[in-house]
Amino acid sequence: MKTATGRWLGLTLLVSSILLSAVGQLCMKAGMHELHVVGNAWVDRVGPIVWTAGGLLAYVCSLMAWLAVLVRYPLSFAYPMLSLSYILVYIGAVNWPLLSETATPMRTFGTLLILVGVALVSLNARAEDNMHRGD
Amino acid sequence: MDDVILLLAVLLLSASQVFQKIGARRRLVGRRKVRDWIHAMFTPELLAAGSCIVAGTGLWLLVLYRMDVSRAFPFLSFGSILVVSISRLYLKEAVPAYRWMGVALISVGIALVAQT
Repeated sequence: MKTATGRWLGLTLLVSSILLSAVGQLCMKAGMHELHVVGNAWVDRVGPIVWTAGGLLAYVCSLMAWLAVLVRYPLSFAYPMLSLSYILVYIGAVNWPLLSETATPMRTFGTLLILVGVALVSLNARAEDNMHRGD
Repeated sequence: MDDVILLLAVLLLSASQVFQKIGARRRLVGRRKVRDWIHAMFTPELLAAGSCIVAGTGLWLLVLYRMDVSRAFPFLSFGSILVVSISRLYLKEAVPAYRWMGVALISVGIALVAQT
């Protein structure tokens, strides 16, 4: 764990988990969005199914990486990082032409408040987390 | 109606988080072999986590079909409020003031996003 390799592996897992969860959400949304647009024939549904399945796969990979992260890091460090995905999903949903969701000042402000709130809630959880683990 | 489905999905997904954390502590800490991890996936804690995730994700897809992901996604932080409240009410944990401030900020944030 304290070796350089262990540190890089841990960090890579954390970053992968955050990125995969954001990408997964956006792909799932892309799939559901396409369902609105395409026709009723079965062949038209292939696109949406591929997007959704890809999104679910990214989501599953993100969960596996997250479990490995939970083993390596205290929750107080890992969980606030996870809230970065709020920003990533928001930026992606607004800027990806396929989705082009509308950014409103209220939604942006609300999302930022939540980001700060999640960081505060998970602040200093380290002592408690170690206590539970019996470290 | 859409918001009811959204809250139900969030409840299931947060329940899964709790089961994952319990499962990681009890079954994964200190395990190095892939085979041990595969075995761990079939323990009650992680099976419960998996069931909640499957049900929650099914509902989540329904939510995504009906609304913007930039509106739905922030609602997932409702789980943090639940966990803090449950810790205080049922586990009798001491919850410091700054944590309640975080809960307040999340609540206001969700209320704002819900308006849009």
